[in-house]
Amino acid sequence: MQNLDIISINIWQIVISLANLVILFLILKKFLFEPVKKIKAQRANEIEAEYRKADKARHEADELKNGWEEKIAAADQKADEIINEAVELANSRNEIMLYESREKADQIIRKAKADIERDRREARETIKKEIVDVSQAISEQIIGREINMDDHRDLIDTAIDRMGETK
Amino acid sequence: MSIIFLILSVLSFAAAIAIKVMFVPASQGIDIAGAHIFFTIKMPVQDLPITESQVNSWLIIFGILFLCLFLTSGLKTRDISVRQLVAEWIVETVTNLVKTNMGEFFEGFAPFVAAILGLSAFSSLSSLLGLFPPTSDINIVGGWALLVFILITYYKMKAGPLIYLRSFGQPVPLLAPLNIISEFATPVSMAFRHYGNVLSGSIISVLVAVGLSELSKMLFRFLPGVLADFPYLRIGIPAVLSVYFDLFSGCLQAFIFAMLTMSYVSGGFPAEEYAARKKKREQRKAAREAVLASNRHKGS
Repeated sequence: MQNLDIISINIWQIVISLANLVILFLILKKFLFEPVKKIKAQRANEIEAEYRKADKARHEADELKNGWEEKIAAADQKADEIINEAVELANSRNEIMLYESREKADQIIRKAKADIERDRREARETIKKEIVDVSQAISEQIIGREINMDDHRDLIDTAIDRMGETK
Repeated sequence: MSIIFLILSVLSFAAAIAIKVMFVPASQGIDIAGAHIFFTIKMPVQDLPITESQVNSWLIIFGILFLCLFLTSGLKTRDISVRQLVAEWIVETVTNLVKTNMGEFFEGFAPFVAAILGLSAFSSLSSLLGLFPPTSDINIVGGWALLVFILITYYKMKAGPLIYLRSFGQPVPLLAPLNIISEFATPVSMAFRHYGNVLSGSIISVLVAVGLSELSKMLFRFLPGVLADFPYLRIGIPAVLSVYFDLFSGCLQAFIFAMLTMSYVSGGFPAEEYAARKKKREQRKAAREAVLASNRHKGS
């Protein structure tokens, strides 16, 4: 018998064929499905890790940005403060200067007034003296005799003072 | 490096052709017979003849093994090669097919379904290489169907043998004999469908080829000498049939066999009863542990 009949059932052949299918199942599982699944899981992990890294980087960038923004805001505030301080300082200095200059002017005025007062008093003294002298001379000439100088002076002084008061 | 696997894969098919050329005598005329027997091994119950279909299916398994090794060598996570793309496509497609047809619970069936698809398709397509297609041997396909039958019964029994036995009395106990017959008819019909399709394809091909050569002899009788005997009509015309019977029918039968396997296994599996049983078992386990824990507590 060279060939099998076209329909011939052989138990061992059936068992071998069943075993063949099981073997091929194991082969496919071990050499095709498992490696492919492993590499896919690995890829998924890598992608996940990349995402996490990107998220972290973005988070850090956000933090940096916030930090810079805060810093910029702080710097702006500081600049404002400095300007305000400077303005205040300038204002106060201005006032001081004004005050000082006013003071000086007052002093000058006061001094001038005092000078004037003194000059006037001096002038009045000298005038008074001259008037006394002149009036003495005149009265000596008129009366012809020397009057008591001191009495006379007192008399005239009072007269002149009265004159000055009425003026 | 990986190209060696591809060469080995091709070599296993070449080996099948070489064996056929060396050991199988050429057939003459109309010759419809089973696989060629190389030698017979004495075995209990029944002798085991080592036939073309056996050898071819082993060589096909080797071919698929080396093909897998070729596809999965040098897997990378990025910059993937076309090879890896093909491997991933195969895995993904079969896994999706299994998931949609059988549900998440049977996801582990993906390599098995891939094995059925691959073995059946390669076996049927091996006739394109002039080999004896192992799928046209009832014993080969019968073995697969028997394995599928075992799986079906195993998954039916998963919710308890009692539920399995009770399912024969559905919907009326009177139908029990019919249910038992249909249970055994499942693997038989699967085996015969596949085997019959492939075998009938080869038979029709042979008949058509012979018929065409006779027809051409009749039509070209007027030509002188040897020219009259040349079968002109056998040029090209049988190829059209071969496209249907070998290519289309081979792939289609592989797909049908895989689909039937999936639907029978998942359809026979009583998911609700299994879930209930699992839950009950877990509850019992928890109760036992609670008792144990209380005993230990008392002991200490």
